[in-house]
Amino acid sequence: MKFIEGLKKIFLIDLFKGLFVTFRHQDPNDLVTEQYPLERPEISDRYRGQPRLVKDENGKMLCTACGACALACPDKLIKVGSMRDPETKKKVLTEFDYDMGRCMFCGLCEEACNTGSLKLSRDYEIALYSRDGLELDRKQLEDGTSRKVYDK
Amino acid sequence: MINNFLGYLHSNVTPGEAGSLIWVTIYVLLVFAGISVGVIFMNWFERKVMAHMQVRLGPMRVGPHGLLQPVADALKLIIKEDLTPANADKIVFWFAPVCVVMTAFCTFIVVPFGRTHAITDMNIGVVFMLGVSSLGVLGVIMAGWASNSHYPLMGSLRSGAQMVSYEIAMSMAVVSAVMMTSMATGTGTLSMIGVVQAQMQQHTWFVFSFFPVGLIALAVFVIAMVAETNRAPFDLPEAESELVAGFMTEYSGFRWSLFFLAEYTSMMAVSSMAVTLWLGGWLRPFPNLLGGRNWDLAFSLVPGLAFLALAALCLFTYTKMPRLKSMRSAALGLGAFASVLGVVGIVMLLPGVRDRVQDIFWFALKVGFFMYLYVWARTTFPRYRFDQLMKIGWKVLLPISIGLVVLTALIGVRQELFALVWR
Repeated sequence: MKFIEGLKKIFLIDLFKGLFVTFRHQDPNDLVTEQYPLERPEISDRYRGQPRLVKDENGKMLCTACGACALACPDKLIKVGSMRDPETKKKVLTEFDYDMGRCMFCGLCEEACNTGSLKLSRDYEIALYSRDGLELDRKQLEDGTSRKVYDK
Repeated sequence: MINNFLGYLHSNVTPGEAGSLIWVTIYVLLVFAGISVGVIFMNWFERKVMAHMQVRLGPMRVGPHGLLQPVADALKLIIKEDLTPANADKIVFWFAPVCVVMTAFCTFIVVPFGRTHAITDMNIGVVFMLGVSSLGVLGVIMAGWASNSHYPLMGSLRSGAQMVSYEIAMSMAVVSAVMMTSMATGTGTLSMIGVVQAQMQQHTWFVFSFFPVGLIALAVFVIAMVAETNRAPFDLPEAESELVAGFMTEYSGFRWSLFFLAEYTSMMAVSSMAVTLWLGGWLRPFPNLLGGRNWDLAFSLVPGLAFLALAALCLFTYTKMPRLKSMRSAALGLGAFASVLGVVGIVMLLPGVRDRVQDIFWFALKVGFFMYLYVWARTTFPRYRFDQLMKIGWKVLLPISIGLVVLTALIGVRQELFALVWR
């Protein structure tokens, strides 16, 4: 046994093994790097990203201004403003403020929503240069904050 | 005058032997330009190969597949502020990078890229190369001393110690190869061209002569040359985890890039020495076994075809590039690069050119293999501790190399020895 160990040492077997490992990993299919702006990662359905207010297929606002999300929010960062429609006597959403700067993306508001209007979407590019833009109003929640696309 | 100038092209000697000053100047400039381009390419190649070995992509953004990254880096380095420490020895600090670069490039005076493609053929070429290439350490020590700072000094001390411990083993391995040159003719030679011609006459590269002896000598030389050029796994003088950047710590901007240039140049220099001594220098594969006109023609077509294949590869990548507005300039650049490669390939297929150029191609291919080996070793092996480095140098490589010299001598004179014994 000792003899074989010695032979291994003389012929630098371990070093050649290491060389073989690094050589093998040159295979271009082995790459894990993602060239981010050109290749975009596939986001899971369960990802909790930027909050959005969803409309139904006819373009009608689903939110009934019940305020369940505001109650469910542990950080108390959702403000729902409503008024009663004088004709239909129904509550109508007037404003919806969502302070994303304090949000921890727990998704409890999404779960509390009865109509499935408030959703944490799969948008993940929400970084900004200042905190001001993080307070989303109703329009931003409906349309989404569009990512600025830089062209060369 | 002009006849004298053009007449050289029909002669079969190096410009130094022909004594043509103009051609020597041209060759010096050509070698300088070629080595610089090689260094630029090596910078890209090393980062790319290292990245792929580490399952990364490496530079991708500047030019197609990051091909222009070294150019961008060089621009950045030139623009950077050139600092000199307040208490540094100004003159020595200035001279250190110059010294390193000068010695690194001087070694190429005797390197034969082909039978006619060497600046000159010295009868002591091998010794000249060994001597000049180890002068480089003087520049390293000067840099460390003149910086007047702790880390550079430590780095240069290590470099000096490392040089001393590997120089002897390296020289002994070289001696064993030089002794082999005397096998066929009875007279050995120290000329770099002579060494290659001896391999031609003996119908074998020196790696394979006296079978394990040449191979072991090459192995000893390769290990010693990695240590000699301060590359991983023996990069103790510039070990960034211990010494910031070693002797280069206080250098910035253009002076630092001179050190960088010198490092890669000396890597190429010692690689070309290994190629010349053991791997048949500029000789194409099987120059004797596959001799004759047809084989000559076939092998002389290889360089041009290789360039055309590279061009085709670039064109193929060009067609596969995503059609994005932001990628347009990169794609155009790749297309232009492919066409340049194609033109070079076609020029190298012309009968007059291909006979003169193919030597350089085979030589560059062999040197390229060693450069790849450098990168490969760098990604694979962790750095040695200083005492381990010393132990390998003095206790392992030195005895082996001295044994090799004795063994080569004994095998070389075996017939005389047998005659002595059986008498």
